[in-house]
Amino acid sequence: MRAGFRQSMTRLHTWAGVVIGALLFLIFWMGSLSVFDREVDRWMMPMTRLAPASASGLASLDTTVRPVAEQLAGGASPWTILLPTARVPTLELRYPDGAGEIVRRHVDPASGRLLAAAGSAGGNGFFFPFHYKLHLKAFDLGYWLVGLAGMTMLVLLVSGVIIHRRIFSDFFTFRPARAMPRATLDLHNLSGVLALPFHFVITLSGLIILFAIYFPVAWQTAYAPAGPDARQAFNREAFGTWRRPPAGVPGPLASLDAMLAAAQAQWQGGRPYMVRVWHPGDAASWVEVRRSFADDITMNLDTVYFDGVTGAVLHRHQARPVMRVQRFIAGLHFVQFEHWTLRWLYFLAGLAGCLMIGTGLLFWLEARRARHLRQGVAGVRLVEGLTVGGTAGLIVATLAFLVANRLLPLDLAARPAIEMNVFFAAWGVTFVHAGWRAAHAWREQAWAMAVLATAAVALNGLTTGDHLLRTLAAGNWAVAGVDGVLLLGALVAGGVARHLRRRGAEAPAVGGARAAAGGRG
Amino acid sequence: MASRLLAAVGAGYACTAAAVALASVALPLAFGMARSEAVVLAAMAGFLLYLMVLVWGFAEPRLARVWVVLVGGVVLCWGLAQWLAPLAAARVVPAG
Repeated sequence: MRAGFRQSMTRLHTWAGVVIGALLFLIFWMGSLSVFDREVDRWMMPMTRLAPASASGLASLDTTVRPVAEQLAGGASPWTILLPTARVPTLELRYPDGAGEIVRRHVDPASGRLLAAAGSAGGNGFFFPFHYKLHLKAFDLGYWLVGLAGMTMLVLLVSGVIIHRRIFSDFFTFRPARAMPRATLDLHNLSGVLALPFHFVITLSGLIILFAIYFPVAWQTAYAPAGPDARQAFNREAFGTWRRPPAGVPGPLASLDAMLAAAQAQWQGGRPYMVRVWHPGDAASWVEVRRSFADDITMNLDTVYFDGVTGAVLHRHQARPVMRVQRFIAGLHFVQFEHWTLRWLYFLAGLAGCLMIGTGLLFWLEARRARHLRQGVAGVRLVEGLTVGGTAGLIVATLAFLVANRLLPLDLAARPAIEMNVFFAAWGVTFVHAGWRAAHAWREQAWAMAVLATAAVALNGLTTGDHLLRTLAAGNWAVAGVDGVLLLGALVAGGVARHLRRRGAEAPAVGGARAAAGGRG
Repeated sequence: MASRLLAAVGAGYACTAAAVALASVALPLAFGMARSEAVVLAAMAGFLLYLMVLVWGFAEPRLARVWVVLVGGVVLCWGLAQWLAPLAAARVVPAG
């Protein structure tokens, strides 16, 4: 019975891993990049590389972003204004254009100057949504695929621990000189065990963030009396979402600065991070001011709602206890608190996840390569193509995205979409290449990573003048950090490519996946 | 194999969702919890329940037993949830 249990868990671990592995790698990779999404934004949007906002006093919204919003967005609802933070030196304005697409513009908080359109989705607009909805819009398909992958990840972690006889001794076991499958498995176990608590918490918390999507039946049942407004009624009670219909008659917007001051008084010194103006210019407009959680793990729901015309407080919300637990778990995942050491650890642990997934796939391949070749089965060939494209190819595409960002002219129409198309085109090419070159593809894509990462750093220096020496001297850590990681990734990828050539072309090495974790964009 | 996959993943989700629905109406009745709180707690616990159901669904040697337990679970939890929902709606704790 016991042997049977372990055997069934081994089978489950093997096949769930092979089927979902590439999708999990994608989610872990994009999640790892999203840890530094704001820094990638600075790198990809040179016009926003301002000196950090002064820590004292808030910028005035009435004299800076408001005139810009009135001019650009007019009565489009809502205006979303994100205040400067330690990681973002600009005021960011978001509003829906005529087609309902969200426009993002940046304003210098010191002068109120509207900065040139970024022409890029950046890390926050491309990597981050990729991480949780895969850029698939229809029927929430992206969310559900990510949810399926998340549950599979939890099953893989549980079954992985169960099939592990010697979880602690394996922790100290790495035999890189041993035969290929053994060394790959060692690295899979090492990265898996080392970051096991992180992997479990990050996966479960990711699912819990989207609980209302994955278990809609909960609010549908409890709020059934509200009929078609069930979701709204739930959001009102759980998240404090407050709204009213617009009046349809004009009414002037009161001072936003006064509302910020009133909100801060309500929070006894807590600072705002976001202001949202609903139906600006309408007599029934209202303004939502949300409290910052930059110094806290819990992503609080302390929101104050003001009447847009009179500036009077309409509604104030604070999360109840269970919801506060949910916001704490969400905060563990979103890592929006300001702590650089922890931020780097999240990044490294995320890459450890990529390494674990990549080496797991490689072990599957290595353990079957000889047998499938003998039997003439196409399994290894197919999975290898998907694995190369899904791991190394994904990194190549990410780097191509960054290179395209530095090469495309800024005044290009639909520039953000072109950047993304470069990503998907490059990714497609890596799959074709993997199918064509088989085992050689690992080495060749490692070279591509090295070349593209180096090119991205060189192009950043050439097109913006912000080369590494200057950014380091100026303390521009966001841009210097991205450049530094790119150079480090190029070195690792180049080293792996050389290592693979020495081993000969007969088999890919564990290094392919090590590059997968190291050659970061 | 297809049957086991459908049982563990599909019926497992249905059974978990039915249990989550039941908890979202039962918790307010049993402990006087606000409904929004019951929804959040039930859904959060649902992920752990689904994880256990999945592991068990693949580990249990008798596939028929997996089907019986999960389909039975759906019928029982969903029936109870539908029976309790009107009672819970009658004594909604007002949101603060």
